[in-house]
Amino acid sequence: MARYGMALDYKNCINCKACEVACKEENGVLLGADKHRIWVGVKEVEGQWPNLDIVSNTFVPSQCQHCEDAPCQEVCPTHATYYDENHVVRVNSDKCILCSYCMNACPYDARYVDDRTMTVDKCTFCSDTRLARGETTTACQNTCPTKVRTFGDLDDPESEISILLKTRDHFSLKSHLGTNPKLFYLT
Amino acid sequence: MSIKEFITSIPVNKVGIKDILKFEKSPTNLLVAALTLLFLAFFVIGVGIYLVHGHHAYGVTRQHPWGLLIAVYIFFVVSSTGLCIVGSLGDVFGFKDYEMISKRAIFGSIVTILGGFAVIAFEIGHPVRMLIYNILSPGMRSAIWWMGTLYGIYLTFMIIEFIFLLKHDMKNARIFGLIGLLVGLAAHSNLGGVFGFLNSRTISNGVFYPTYFILTAFITGIYIAFIMMGFRYKLRFPDNAKVMLTNLALIQALLLAILMFFETWKMLTGIYGGMPGRADVAEHILTTWPFWAEVIFGMLIPFLVALLTKGKNHVMMFWASLIGMVGIFFMRYDLVHDTQLKPLQMMKTREYMLPPEWVHYFPSSTEMMISLGGLGIVVLLYYVGTKVFNLDADAH
Ligand code: SF4
Ligand code: SF4
Repeated sequence: MARYGMALDYKNCINCKACEVACKEENGVLLGADKHRIWVGVKEVEGQWPNLDIVSNTFVPSQCQHCEDAPCQEVCPTHATYYDENHVVRVNSDKCILCSYCMNACPYDARYVDDRTMTVDKCTFCSDTRLARGETTTACQNTCPTKVRTFGDLDDPESEISILLKTRDHFSLKSHLGTNPKLFYLT
Repeated sequence: MSIKEFITSIPVNKVGIKDILKFEKSPTNLLVAALTLLFLAFFVIGVGIYLVHGHHAYGVTRQHPWGLLIAVYIFFVVSSTGLCIVGSLGDVFGFKDYEMISKRAIFGSIVTILGGFAVIAFEIGHPVRMLIYNILSPGMRSAIWWMGTLYGIYLTFMIIEFIFLLKHDMKNARIFGLIGLLVGLAAHSNLGGVFGFLNSRTISNGVFYPTYFILTAFITGIYIAFIMMGFRYKLRFPDNAKVMLTNLALIQALLLAILMFFETWKMLTGIYGGMPGRADVAEHILTTWPFWAEVIFGMLIPFLVALLTKGKNHVMMFWASLIGMVGIFFMRYDLVHDTQLKPLQMMKTREYMLPPEWVHYFPSSTEMMISLGGLGIVVLLYYVGTKVFNLDADAH
């Protein structure tokens, strides 16, 4: 029983997209541009050379925020979307009827349709793969060359992520929507 | 009385296939018949393509998961709720002038919702699973759960009410009609809630849709009432129908005025203050032609016709109602599309792409065929109903 979250030292991201590849490989995510569980958002540099605004150029790696108050879970008519024992937001593909309500309700565009099961799929924090094997890392975290990602138990005060969140300033995305994301961006 | 006796005592006309195929071969009738057959063929082809290719046959995407079929489903269920309201005027609320349309309107509300169900069955990925898990693990905080469940109950009550109307048992018809109406209104406002609850979509979030759905349902019900009566009397209305239609036209003018007032304020409050995600979307909507189709066909033209003729030119109101229904279709399409206009992922995530601006969607031919097929089903069921049942008011 844990309460998993992830901290992202996003300014270290170099947009190599190794995490996207590792996620697809580890979790057997279908190929195709729209079929992704995680992504790196790019904000391109603004201004004209030589007056380039170099701080405007950022890379923001992201995925399902595993919201504590997840709109996707709230709107699901059959409880296909649920919180598992580790507070990870999951989809039970046996119960999903593909009404797509969750895809519209998720403020982060974190969900897509898996064509094999014709149900909605999203990031699981590698619950079916690495966590199920007893590992305590996710594929994206493991592969990241600049160590952007720290994954761990938010309830354990000694965990690396808890210490990071106590010592580094951070923010979360679209927090005004009251979703209480468990993805934290370190500043 | 046993159930068997009850069922066998429902008055129906004994008609065979031959009687159903028999109709006056006027050019309008032939055109409607040909179109209906064409649409039914479309339905079969569209469903066939869907069964082979699944959602790939549709224009829906990750960013725009709800497409034309959702809009058409809403179109039909709004029609159903509207007809239920119109039908209830006479038989639930006891306004004598409207009794002549009660049976027809209630039957219309049954066939339109069946058309809606026929369309949505091919949009929801797993409709059978839905029936099972709606009961086994109900998501009580989901507006879709409430909407679906309440519509199921509503359909049952409408059928029971219709049977009592056929049997001329006005007391029971009134009881079931009232419950059906209340459940229908609850279901329908929940359908508005499906959009109104979306925090992530500021353009749709809020109280507007759940209330506006009821208003536009009443408006749609009156449009269809004109269309049904127009076909019933071949535009040569008897005097009692004229009284009712004049009243309905005047009510329609009032409702349309309220709707236009609502819409204006929705747009004004949307744009005012420049809130990102709402103001930019509202301004963008004003530049799209389906929005103006909705306003001009669905509101302005019928409003002006009703107002300028003081509701007395029923033939013109019939044509204005047909135009109005085209506008209502765009109203539903806009509702669904505009909700999803603004991308939730605002950053570029791939090389060789520009940062997302507006989400594009255009229905595929399969979606169009299934949608027109829904219309074909509704017209066919209604036509068969006019043969099997006596939909005119019973003589007192
Ligand atoms: S980010 Fe989206 S999919 Fe993930 S928990 Fe939150 S609402 Fe659900
Ligand atoms: S698409 Fe599936 S997971 Fe999403 S709300 Fe519908 S049933 Fe639930």
